[in-house]
Amino acid sequence: MDRRKFTNMVLAGGLLGWIGSVLYPIVCYLTPPKVAEANVGSVKAGTASDFRPNTAQIVKFGRKPVILIRTEGGDFRALNATCTHLDCIVQYRTDLKQIWCACHNGLYDTRGRNISGPPPRPLDEYVVKVVNDEILVSRPAV
Amino acid sequence: MKALRISTMITLALALVSGAALADGTSVSANEEVAPSDAEVARRAFLENDQCYQCHLEDENLPEHFFIDDIHMQANLSCAGCHGGDPASDDDEESMSEEAGFLGVPSRSEVPEFCGRCHSDIEFMRRYQPRIPTDQVNRYSTSLHGQLLSSGDDNVANCTSCHTAHGVLPASDARSSVHPLNVPSTCNSCHGDTDHMAGYDIPTDQYEQYAKSVHGVALLEKEDTGAPACNDCHGNHGALPPGISSVTQVCGHCHVNNLQFFEATPMARAFEDSELHGCEECHGNHGVARTSDEMVGTGDASVCMDCHDDGDDGSDAAGRIRAQLDSLTEVYGIALERQEEVNTKGMDDVDIGFILQEAHQSLIQARTLVHTFDPERVGPRTREGVEKSKSAIEIAESTIQEYSFRRRGFGMGTLFITILVIALFFRIRQMESS
Repeated sequence: MDRRKFTNMVLAGGLLGWIGSVLYPIVCYLTPPKVAEANVGSVKAGTASDFRPNTAQIVKFGRKPVILIRTEGGDFRALNATCTHLDCIVQYRTDLKQIWCACHNGLYDTRGRNISGPPPRPLDEYVVKVVNDEILVSRPAV
Repeated sequence: MKALRISTMITLALALVSGAALADGTSVSANEEVAPSDAEVARRAFLENDQCYQCHLEDENLPEHFFIDDIHMQANLSCAGCHGGDPASDDDEESMSEEAGFLGVPSRSEVPEFCGRCHSDIEFMRRYQPRIPTDQVNRYSTSLHGQLLSSGDDNVANCTSCHTAHGVLPASDARSSVHPLNVPSTCNSCHGDTDHMAGYDIPTDQYEQYAKSVHGVALLEKEDTGAPACNDCHGNHGALPPGISSVTQVCGHCHVNNLQFFEATPMARAFEDSELHGCEECHGNHGVARTSDEMVGTGDASVCMDCHDDGDDGSDAAGRIRAQLDSLTEVYGIALERQEEVNTKGMDDVDIGFILQEAHQSLIQARTLVHTFDPERVGPRTREGVEKSKSAIEIAESTIQEYSFRRRGFGMGTLFITILVIALFFRIRQMESS
């Protein structure tokens, strides 16, 4: 192989590599990420018409789990789902119509107020808005 | 002249009160004049006409710890409200006469009944604080303080020992001696005084123990008013040390699951038969420390081995439970390290965080289930936590691999560009030479 051919091959290889290294990040950028961004101001939490009264679901709000409750009266309430006692994730008890922490039997009412057991503080509240049947959970205004 | 002096003193006293109120956080600039509220105007008028207050102020003979914002003073219940007499008369002989209903200063043993004249009167209290209980004096009489007082011991606490006599504030007021943050030091003012407590044959280091305890650190250092102070376990007006059977109930008031698990075990009956104080035997009382897994098992720090012997059923169960907890804490610790690694590399660790929160929940639940003393109940929860931790480790490792792949890709891209530049350089030289 003469020097010219070798140089051409290196040039072609380098060019292909360069195209690949430029295109790969572009393709990755255009492909939607698997998870939402960590620092979020609000999240969509499904449609209101699919959310039955006296039920709840855990919504990922950035790094924090948020419990979204639809009360028997049809109101939506969103609260930080991390128990204020030892950081377990709380759940909604349809039989009690209250929020319950399975770890130490802590109870909160649907406004997030600690009413029984060891939780020392209420759960932080988030703002819930329903826009065109879509539920939006957002951080409370400071 | 006297009127002028009195008027000047009232102005000074009210100015001091207003100044204290502003210093408490009211954000008003120094030059801004604050118009007194209607209630404040009425209070000033009331105080100007209250001869008890005026004379004691003029003679600089106000009682010790007198506080003009005392809750009774705020409701225009001045000196005569408790001590009787005629506050309208400026003649001290007349105003403090028997005819005027003057009662004077009660002895220590008379204080509960003295306060109870109003505080046990539902009709009277309804005018001021309709929701306040009116059974404090009855409850006090059932307390150890009340029992000792009625047996002739004037040294014990009465109403004023905790609430003060002339600076009474509601418990919700952070300045109050009975505000949750201040209760431990209020109790300690007597219970920590070795001279005062001489002869009662009880320790005086409860406050020191409490201040270092998990409850004390939460209340006194973190100012978490959800943490228990003395009165949350002992009661307040009806204060008594909890008995053998009631200790677990006292702790179980907050630690509900722990109580339910413990009460369902044969250990609970064995404790009662042996007159052992439930929770207190393992966790202590005033100095209850943050729990650790070392308390379980057969090691030196194990509380199980305080009663059990090596090789008996109890020590076997303790050893198995400890091994189950260790298996989870070990893999959970590794998962936390992997998450930290992912985080340090700037990769997304949100999903890992959620899974680890669930693993942490399993760990917390397993630790609570220790109170069943049954490895068959602790085991499933620790296995669940181990599975979750392993799943978090798996995601973390694949994220770290992704990170390595990106770095390799970046390196290769740089290499390709470098080769391209070099090749272009030679190509240009070839073109120039030909």
